[in-house]
Amino acid sequence: MSATELPTKEAHILKGHEGAVLAARFNGDGNYALTCGKDRTIRLWNPHRGILIKTYKSHGREVRDVHVTSDNAKFCSCGGDRQVYYWDVSTGRVIRKFRGHDGEVNAVKFNDSSSVVVSAGFDRSLRVWDCRSHSVEPVQIIDTFLDTVMSVVLTKTEIIGGSVDGTVRTFDMRIGREMSDNLGQPVNCISISNDGNCVLAGCLDSTLRLLDRTTGELLQVYKGHISKSFKTDCCLTNSDAHVIGGSEDGLVFFWDLVDAKVLSKFRAHDLVVTSVSYHPKEDCMLTSSVDGTIRVWKK
Amino acid sequence: MGSDEEDFVFHGTPIEREEEIASRKKKAVAGASGNLRTLPAWKQEVTDEEGRRRFHGAFTGGYSAGYYNTVGSKEGWAPQSFTSSRQNRAGARKQSISDFLDEDEKADMEGKSLSASSQFDTFGFTAAEHSRKHAEKEQHERPSAIPGPVPDELVAPVSESIGVKLLLKMGWRRGHSIKEVRASSDARREARKAFLAFYTDENTKETPDSLVSETEVETSLGEDIKISESTPVYVLNPKQDLHGLGYDPFKHAPEFREKKRSRMSANKEVGFRKPLSMKESLFGPKSGKIAPGFGIGALEELDVEDEDVYAGYDFDQTYVIEDEQPARQSNDNRLRLTSKEHDVLPGFGAAKNSDYSMERFNPPIIPKDFVARHKFSGPLEAETKPTVSAPPEVPPPADNNLKLLIEGFATFVSRCGKLYEDLSREKNQSNQLFDFLREGNGHDYYARRLWEEQQKRKDQSKLTLDVKVSPTVQKMTAETRGSLLGEKPLQRSLKETDTSASSGGSFQFPTNLSDTFTKSASSQEAADAVKPFKDDPAKQERFEQFLKEKYKGGLRTTDSNRVNSMSESARAQERLDFEAAAEAIEKGKAYKEVRRATEQPLDFLAGGLQFTSGGTEQIKDTGVVDMKSSKTYPKREEFQWRPSPLLCKRFDLPDPFMGKLPPAPRARNKMDSLVFLPDTVKAASARQVSESQVPKKETSIEEPEVEVEVENVERPVDLYKAIFSDDSEDDEDQPMNGKIQEGQEKKNEAAATTLNRLIAGDFLESLGKELGFEVPMEEEIKSRSKPEDSSDKRLDRPGLKEKVEEKTSSLTLGSEEEKSRKKREKSPGKRSGGNDLSSSESSGDERRRKRYNKKDRHRNDSESDSSSDYHSRDKQGSRSRSKRRESSREKRSSHKKHSKHRRTKKSSSSRYSSDEEQKESRREKKRRRD
Repeated sequence: MSATELPTKEAHILKGHEGAVLAARFNGDGNYALTCGKDRTIRLWNPHRGILIKTYKSHGREVRDVHVTSDNAKFCSCGGDRQVYYWDVSTGRVIRKFRGHDGEVNAVKFNDSSSVVVSAGFDRSLRVWDCRSHSVEPVQIIDTFLDTVMSVVLTKTEIIGGSVDGTVRTFDMRIGREMSDNLGQPVNCISISNDGNCVLAGCLDSTLRLLDRTTGELLQVYKGHISKSFKTDCCLTNSDAHVIGGSEDGLVFFWDLVDAKVLSKFRAHDLVVTSVSYHPKEDCMLTSSVDGTIRVWKK
Repeated sequence: MGSDEEDFVFHGTPIEREEEIASRKKKAVAGASGNLRTLPAWKQEVTDEEGRRRFHGAFTGGYSAGYYNTVGSKEGWAPQSFTSSRQNRAGARKQSISDFLDEDEKADMEGKSLSASSQFDTFGFTAAEHSRKHAEKEQHERPSAIPGPVPDELVAPVSESIGVKLLLKMGWRRGHSIKEVRASSDARREARKAFLAFYTDENTKETPDSLVSETEVETSLGEDIKISESTPVYVLNPKQDLHGLGYDPFKHAPEFREKKRSRMSANKEVGFRKPLSMKESLFGPKSGKIAPGFGIGALEELDVEDEDVYAGYDFDQTYVIEDEQPARQSNDNRLRLTSKEHDVLPGFGAAKNSDYSMERFNPPIIPKDFVARHKFSGPLEAETKPTVSAPPEVPPPADNNLKLLIEGFATFVSRCGKLYEDLSREKNQSNQLFDFLREGNGHDYYARRLWEEQQKRKDQSKLTLDVKVSPTVQKMTAETRGSLLGEKPLQRSLKETDTSASSGGSFQFPTNLSDTFTKSASSQEAADAVKPFKDDPAKQERFEQFLKEKYKGGLRTTDSNRVNSMSESARAQERLDFEAAAEAIEKGKAYKEVRRATEQPLDFLAGGLQFTSGGTEQIKDTGVVDMKSSKTYPKREEFQWRPSPLLCKRFDLPDPFMGKLPPAPRARNKMDSLVFLPDTVKAASARQVSESQVPKKETSIEEPEVEVEVENVERPVDLYKAIFSDDSEDDEDQPMNGKIQEGQEKKNEAAATTLNRLIAGDFLESLGKELGFEVPMEEEIKSRSKPEDSSDKRLDRPGLKEKVEEKTSSLTLGSEEEKSRKKREKSPGKRSGGNDLSSSESSGDERRRKRYNKKDRHRNDSESDSSSDYHSRDKQGSRSRSKRRESSREKRSSHKKHSKHRRTKKSSSSRYSSDEEQKESRREKKRRRD
């Protein structure tokens, strides 16, 4: 593919957050976007028209991550108040609060059937919460990490967590085994390919590393951006042909998956790009920044 | 009438009548009350007691200002206490003089009377008076139902009893004992008779005197006997001298003891005379002399009975003295006997029981062999040894046998000690062979030999220390290290010598350029660099290959070129080879698994030496960071991790550790992280041998993984076994259908089977939860919970509906038509299931019906059979599973893409806000379901 087919054209600017925006996520079908930030609010947008639909307020501190269920009826959020909030989208009501983390919660994810929420926390643990029953105790606590867990990804049979101790750990529930891939550098963000064979790990040495999940081999290394002090995001396009990464100088980079060649880079924001999210179907992208804006990019 | 009044003239004040006064008072009271209540303050008037109006204290000085109109009496508002007079009515008191006397007169009456104190109240009159007074007080204090004096006044206590009065009449006097009185009274009566007879007949015969004296003697003896029985001995014979206890001055002179006794008796006689003379002078002829016995009280007067008629006669006294003496003598004899027998002081007797028993500890017995001085043998022996000087050398004796004997014996003595020599000397005194021990033939040689043996022993001790140190020294040497490691370093050393001789200049340059490397490493590298040049001129192809490998070294190749003289054509060829190598490296960065697999066999073909050398170079190079990171990191480790059963349930997976006890939680502390560090260092420092072993370990590690997978998969729950058993039966029935059907149908089948499995799994989970078990293991539990089944089953119906709705929402299947078809097909199954649930039958029957239902479903849905074949095939082997997993992932991804496209179409059609769109979507879903 050529650079022209990549979404590098700004379509809309979503303004409303009164502080840094820490995460921007598409929902399952890509029609709506949820953003959260340091102003302790979660906002629901229609990114294709640049309209703010709803604002959710209950968090006591900054909100670090959000994730929507596949049926678009509920979502979960986490942040500095050490709790995981389970919300109803239409009513804006907090259905339940999951308490148990000893520090800030950095990331949350639903599984495919939306029956379980997995949260990654500052207390070096992954906690699994049950959404079906009314219990507020964690189903399981995974505390084999040696340092903060920054990111978490779920598949049908596995839980994958990336940590600052330099490891990407895969917990296989079918076999009952833990596989620890040590990259030697703090892992900031992890993302899984659409075919489920590869894991993309963003490290704090300004490098993105592509790993084979079955063998743990290093397939490719992507460089050029700056990622040393802040939490930046990385992801793959829906076609698994390109790798996208945000930079601390406000740029967004596109690499070729196979050649590790920088196809294009452009200035998306004036400050740190905190989050990058690609549309599940179309060639559309969301980027959020510390300057409080969310930008929608299209061809 | 008017005219009458004018005529009369009145003088003075008229007399007031009682009626008028009473009416006035009443008016005053009424007025006061009325004024206080009704009239205001400025209308109130001050009135007198009789109701008359008066000024408000103007002339009285304001004394009664607050009295009238406020309180009812002059004293104030204090109410008086009420006392009833019922009790006082009945009381009728007698009047006495005290009632009419004043206090002063009463005091005067009391002062006049005199009374004795309790000490001198001999007659008891004072006590009687006190008791009477006390009784009177009590009478006054307490009320009495019977009027009149209390009986206590009539009855007064008496100080003397009747017994005392009788004794007094019989002759007893206070201060005397009862016994003595009786005896003295009898004697006195007889005395009176005798006296009367004497006075009447002065000139009578002597015989009555002798009779009287005899009777007196008998009485005196009786008295003495009684006294001796009652009183102890030391009271009768008190110690009158000033000698010490047990001392007898008359021990050897009994004569003097008798004289002393006579003196004592004479003193007594003198004592008796004196009081008699005094009494005669005081009391006159009537009183006469006092009888012997206890004295009378000083205050009491002498009675007639107390006089003694025979006081003047000395004869009686002499008899008494003589009688007392033998008793004393007998006592003395007893004391003497006791003293002689028991060796005890006279006057004392030995005690019967002696509690004190002293333990005696004899001094220790000194053994005969004991020597006062302590001799230290040790230091003397030690001192003697160094002082011994080396004996002079002596030639061996002529006899060889003797020589051998002496040498052997010397060694034994040096080992065992001198005792051995002494013992052998004693035993072998008769034996001529051992004459050398007794300064015989060969003694000098023996002494020298012994000295030499001792010196050797000392040297051996030093040698042992040296021997211990030597092996460490040997290890440090290069030769030993090389020998231990193997043959390779020997080869290197030989080559190194040649290279150093040939190229001295080149050896120095790499050291300067690479300061970080050690000398040994640099020398090895130089050798490696030089190797191909000798072989290469003959074969250019090999040379090119070596050059490619050397390019990784970089600087060293140029140095080698300078040193070795090469032709220009060869240099040009080298440059071309370098370019080719660079291109290869660039391509290598973008390599994938396939390229790695192709490259590895090439390395093996090249040979062990080349492979190892390449590895070492790469490790030492610092420029190539990516290659370094690729090999050192990422590093994969595997641990056992146990998911909780609820987590597996939520992900619709069987628990791999079903039936096992939870393991103890492993403690991953900071120490564990520290432990990992030395492992990395060792891995980096690993040499050729270890690198070759690594792939073997990897293969060994892979094998248990496969086994683990097989074991875990083979441990599903009984409920899941039921599902799989049904699938297996289907496989047997229709094995051929799977192969025939096309790919498109396979996808649909896979989706359908997943739906069926999900429904069944959730149904079973709900059953388990409601029954109270996470996963029911045994049939017995189900049989026990039969009565609950009916209620639970009724609850299951809405649960099933809810689950179906959730799944339909969550599923991402393709066409709408297929969904509607499946729903229609499933509806009869659900209805039949409900009927079964409603009926309360055994679990076995239920299972069978479930199986039939599932079979029916499978038969109805022909597409699902082939998908079950896929699942059954997965069981066969782990290798095939991995491949199929990838294929299944690809299929799923394709499904997702299709579903995404369809969703986009739907979303594009909608034009309303999110809330309205959600509502419409829900309505549409409901319509579709209907």
